[in-house]
Amino acid sequence: MKKQWLVRALSETLTLASTTTSSFTRSLCSSTSSSSSSSSSSSFALKNVTKSNFESALSDLRRLVRDADFVSIDLEMTGVTSAPWRDSFEFDRFDIRYLKVKDSAEKFAVVQFGVCPFRWDSSKQSFIAHPHNFYIFPRQEIPVGGPSYEFLCQTTSIDFLAKYQFDFNQCIHEGISYLSRGQQDEALRHLQMRYEDDLSELYLREARDTALVRIADVLFTERMKNRISEWREGLLQSRNSGSKFQESTNDFSQQFQTIFFKMRPALLLNGFTSHQLRLIQLVTVKHFENLVYIRVKGESSTVQQLIVYTESNNDRGLLMKEVKDGLRKEEEKKIEAAVGFRHVIDLLSSEQKLIVGHNCFLDIAHMYSKFLGSLPSTAEEYVSSVHKYFPYIIDTKVLLNANDVLRAMMKKGSTSLSKAFAFLCSEIASSVKGSRLGLKPHVNVEVRVDDMRSSNWNSGAKHEAGYDAFMTGCVFAQVCSHLGFNFELHPPFTNLTHDEKLQKHINLLYLSWINSDIIDLRTGKQTAESSYNSLKFRYPKIVFSNICLIWGFPSKLKAREIRECISKVFGPSSVSSIYHLDETAVFVQFSKEEYVSVFLELKETLERNNDPISVLHPLSKLLEGGNTRAASYEFYKEICSSSISKVLFADQAESIGIKWKTKLLGENEMASFRNSTDESESGKMNSVIDDLSCSHFLVDETLDSLYPAEAQVSK
Amino acid sequence: MIPRPPMLQRRFLSTATATTTTTNHRRRWPVKQVTKANFSEALDQIKNHLGDSDFVAVSLQKTGSFSSPWHRVLPIDTADTAYFKAKYAAERFQVLQFAVCPFSIRASKVIAHPYNFHLFPRDELKIGMPSYSFSCQSSYLTSMAREGFDFNACIYNGISYLSRAQESASKDRIGNPVPSKYVIQSSSALSVADAVFVERIKSRVRHWRNAFKDTSTRAEEALIKSLRKLILGSEEYGSRPCLSIDVCSERQVQLALEMLRDFSEDLVPLLIPTKGGETQAVRVVLTSSKEDKETFERELQNLEDEQNKRVRGFREVIDLISTFSETCYFTFIYSKFLSSLPSSMDEFRCSVRLVFPHILDVNHLMKEIGLMKKVTNLPAAISYLKRRFFAPIDMEISHQGKSLLHTYDASESKIHGHDVLRISELFAKLCSILKIAPVTHEDENGHLPSVLEDYTNIFNPCSTSSQDHTIDEDVSVWTDNRRKVDSKDLVFLWGFRGGMSARTLKKLLHDSHDVFSEEFDIRLLDKSCAVVAFWNPGLSESFLEAMDSGGISCESLGEMISEGLRAATYQTYRRACRLGILEADLADSLEKALGDADSLSEAHSEESSEIYWDSDLMINLDDL
Repeated sequence: MKKQWLVRALSETLTLASTTTSSFTRSLCSSTSSSSSSSSSSSFALKNVTKSNFESALSDLRRLVRDADFVSIDLEMTGVTSAPWRDSFEFDRFDIRYLKVKDSAEKFAVVQFGVCPFRWDSSKQSFIAHPHNFYIFPRQEIPVGGPSYEFLCQTTSIDFLAKYQFDFNQCIHEGISYLSRGQQDEALRHLQMRYEDDLSELYLREARDTALVRIADVLFTERMKNRISEWREGLLQSRNSGSKFQESTNDFSQQFQTIFFKMRPALLLNGFTSHQLRLIQLVTVKHFENLVYIRVKGESSTVQQLIVYTESNNDRGLLMKEVKDGLRKEEEKKIEAAVGFRHVIDLLSSEQKLIVGHNCFLDIAHMYSKFLGSLPSTAEEYVSSVHKYFPYIIDTKVLLNANDVLRAMMKKGSTSLSKAFAFLCSEIASSVKGSRLGLKPHVNVEVRVDDMRSSNWNSGAKHEAGYDAFMTGCVFAQVCSHLGFNFELHPPFTNLTHDEKLQKHINLLYLSWINSDIIDLRTGKQTAESSYNSLKFRYPKIVFSNICLIWGFPSKLKAREIRECISKVFGPSSVSSIYHLDETAVFVQFSKEEYVSVFLELKETLERNNDPISVLHPLSKLLEGGNTRAASYEFYKEICSSSISKVLFADQAESIGIKWKTKLLGENEMASFRNSTDESESGKMNSVIDDLSCSHFLVDETLDSLYPAEAQVSK
Repeated sequence: MIPRPPMLQRRFLSTATATTTTTNHRRRWPVKQVTKANFSEALDQIKNHLGDSDFVAVSLQKTGSFSSPWHRVLPIDTADTAYFKAKYAAERFQVLQFAVCPFSIRASKVIAHPYNFHLFPRDELKIGMPSYSFSCQSSYLTSMAREGFDFNACIYNGISYLSRAQESASKDRIGNPVPSKYVIQSSSALSVADAVFVERIKSRVRHWRNAFKDTSTRAEEALIKSLRKLILGSEEYGSRPCLSIDVCSERQVQLALEMLRDFSEDLVPLLIPTKGGETQAVRVVLTSSKEDKETFERELQNLEDEQNKRVRGFREVIDLISTFSETCYFTFIYSKFLSSLPSSMDEFRCSVRLVFPHILDVNHLMKEIGLMKKVTNLPAAISYLKRRFFAPIDMEISHQGKSLLHTYDASESKIHGHDVLRISELFAKLCSILKIAPVTHEDENGHLPSVLEDYTNIFNPCSTSSQDHTIDEDVSVWTDNRRKVDSKDLVFLWGFRGGMSARTLKKLLHDSHDVFSEEFDIRLLDKSCAVVAFWNPGLSESFLEAMDSGGISCESLGEMISEGLRAATYQTYRRACRLGILEADLADSLEKALGDADSLSEAHSEESSEIYWDSDLMINLDDL
């Protein structure tokens, strides 16, 4: 019986596709059918939304989101890191991680936005998912003052998108544009300002300034003057005699057409060159008190040139105001229309639905900077602001790692979206490789898409935002069921957001996956819950105050040599780890905080006295070339908050205008170090985890992370 | 004699508006579209065409040019600042299409061979090159899209490249084995350690070699073979056995190579580089005979050539243009295909001259016939010439065979590389109008015919400037409605009330301080910033002093200062450009450059230059 139904669903799709009605294609992703489920899952089409079908898709989506229990999202961007050293590292402090995410969200563009509302249908005992794939492009639809829209593309990311057949033409030609709330306010303010300036006056004065030079112009002007005057006379006569003035229009050529404009008789000018129009305007202003020359947008948005007859000065003022108000309305409408894709974000925000993403801190940051306003400078401010707009966000990656049972079930499998999907939703994901190894899903999900572009569907559309959003939602539903939800017993559970089991996971996001740093959106604080410490502690504990930043050293120096060099001065176990930011910069973590200031001071002294002792000093190898700079960890923050992004760290430091070679610590810190130097030299050092293999490992990590495309894949 | 075509250059690529549709239908020129797939083939073709042609026209399609009104080259810019602005843009934006058209002019006929190369800076070698990232201006992309640009084709199939500088840097990083070039070096006395090293590897190599030479082992079983392999540390390079010798220093590399010379009849040493560029090991490959050794060496050479092609990519075309014509120029080409841009205009000029000795700018040629300063795009220029001059030019586009028919359709426009053809046409017309004989046979000294020589290598740092910043000195500059002003007499002002017009500001200033009672001029550069030209020398200093003192001596200036008025010299502006502090608002950039001022060496500070003050409004305020 089940099979029969499947066949019907298929044939339904076919007929629908041929008649292109806008009803739903039904595709069955049922888990209960054991034999032929794979044949059914390839027939559904993702809903692609571009400029042309945005309006209708939006109104459908409003309804779908309103009814939804949760909405999953996913974004595709033009890049992730604007420079290799902007990648996320273990040695990044909480505040620096935010700065890096901020930089990424500000520089790169979002090209695809996947939205997938999920609704529990108790009659079908299944979730109904509606995957939408929005192509968006930051087109400048209305002239806003300020710089032109610009975004960065990371070559590897673009290549990555190309590998997954991303349609760049669709995006750039047909992508939906948007204005953030900030931009919209700015545009309206701009409009208000222009409205207040008396533009028309400015315009008229400009016209008066022009002098006639060419003889042809003089003749033309004279002729126009006569024509217009004739027309005006005709108007006055016809009014006095009560006859219709249409007759008089016959005298005019096609170029003049009498119409009514705002209840006043007017001349519509056709087929003149812009130069001629200028002259006509000049004539009108100079010779006809009660005629007003105006330009308005006609139907089909062409500009019309009109000469309007006004009764009096008063009437004239009234007309100008009407025209200006009309223009303003028009402009406001245009701004409203330019809001574009942001309507979707506003919808998500106003419906206060639970938003589900996978490792979505960067996604949310993009949503904020693109659609709300510029990102605040600190994580705390940002988080409280995000929390206001999106009170319920849940991250499936956090969820997967938080649950011991799930972690155990997935063994050591990665928690990347596609892996998790293949594992948890194996029967939905029949196209994903290795699905047979996965768990039997507990929750059914049915996909519904209106049938507009079924032929476009590529069943392996991984890394397409709409499909990724769908996968995220499916994973979430399965995880909920593993956490003990019984959707079948407690339908309709509109309040997922208040559920006890989910409550402790809501609004927790990975600020950085590498270091499993989790940020709580309610408090803006880092959480230190033990259940999240999924990563084994491979590295010595990072103490930021023990870290010194060195860059600009000879490029042939490797981590090992730098360590040797410093160890010769400070003792064999003084350096607990060395970490390459890129080939031009390293973090050196000392075993003791005092060493940082000792090192900085020593470096400064060596460079100041360029005597034989300095030359023979063990550190001279590091200082070779004279461009070696050093500073404490705090300086790293300064660099990361700069809006410039040079590829190499050393160039970046230079570009933000560094003039010093060594940035010493403050006086207090200096004093504290002097007291403790003797102690450290006597060899009473704390034992630190210090071995060369460790630093090697870190170096390798850095090199790997130079390829952000792969980082993206692992998402 | 090798023909040495000068290169035509055009810089106002994007200014051409969509008004050209009608022209397009009339003029359907087949342009060879080149992508990854047909690149090698096109490379061979263009090589011949470049050899046969007198001139080369080029035109580029970029992802953006200037992000803010003041980033354009303004009339107040000197060659220096204009170069800095161009450098800034060239470093940020990406070239997506590079159209090259070798052409010759015979009587009134232009024989052209247009090619349009699609480029994408794909990181073919996974080394973060040619560019880690690039900027796009959405307005640029939108207008390209409107003209039917195929972004998918460009990104999926665009040709990648590495600049000359990147190529040498990358050699180290790719980590492919490099055939060692024997360096004949009188080896210094061997230390004990060296001797031990040499003896050790020598015996190891000999042992390993003998094991293979020994025919009796040939018939061994697989197990024994692999055991032996394990013991001897033997590996395979392709089908040939090889052995790796680990080295710790370049000295040891040298020693190993020297030692291996004793076995040179059948062993070929290869150097295995680390990612950092040093050698990590010497790999010795055993060849079976002299012939086999030669085959192997040829294989290596082919591999290297293949690699080079992959590495250089599109740059091969630039190299070709450069060899055949010993020609050309321009910041974009430079930064993408040669090296990173030098930090000063002078350096750039010298460097460009080395690579491309003859560059012609059609825009400049157009100025020669006068009255054309308002014409800023190609179609407009061509139709202008048509109206005013009688200079019939036939275009003959030749490519081998009919293979081109598929490359064009009716909707073609400038995005398909037709601009190069327009440039060629325009150049031919201009030559005929200016009575320049478009022949390029150089005399003994390597000079072009003198008429053409006069126009060579003169180009505006950027075309949006209507002013000639000359590299050579002998160029007539328009003097009508322009006045010379020394850069010392220019002062930048910002921090005044927003939305103020130049006129209002002038009036305000006029009443504020004595210096403004003399003649002066003021122009808005963008919403936030204005520039004042003092016609009497010395007044700028007094004004700046007054600003520094907070306007103590006069009340109204003091008031303006307290409201936030700020002033800076031309040096500050130059510094902002040089350091690439190109913020959206000029005011912000100047503010930052001021902050930087104290610490930088003021070597250039006394240098001043003359600027031609244009009495036309500099920027149309509608553009802002």
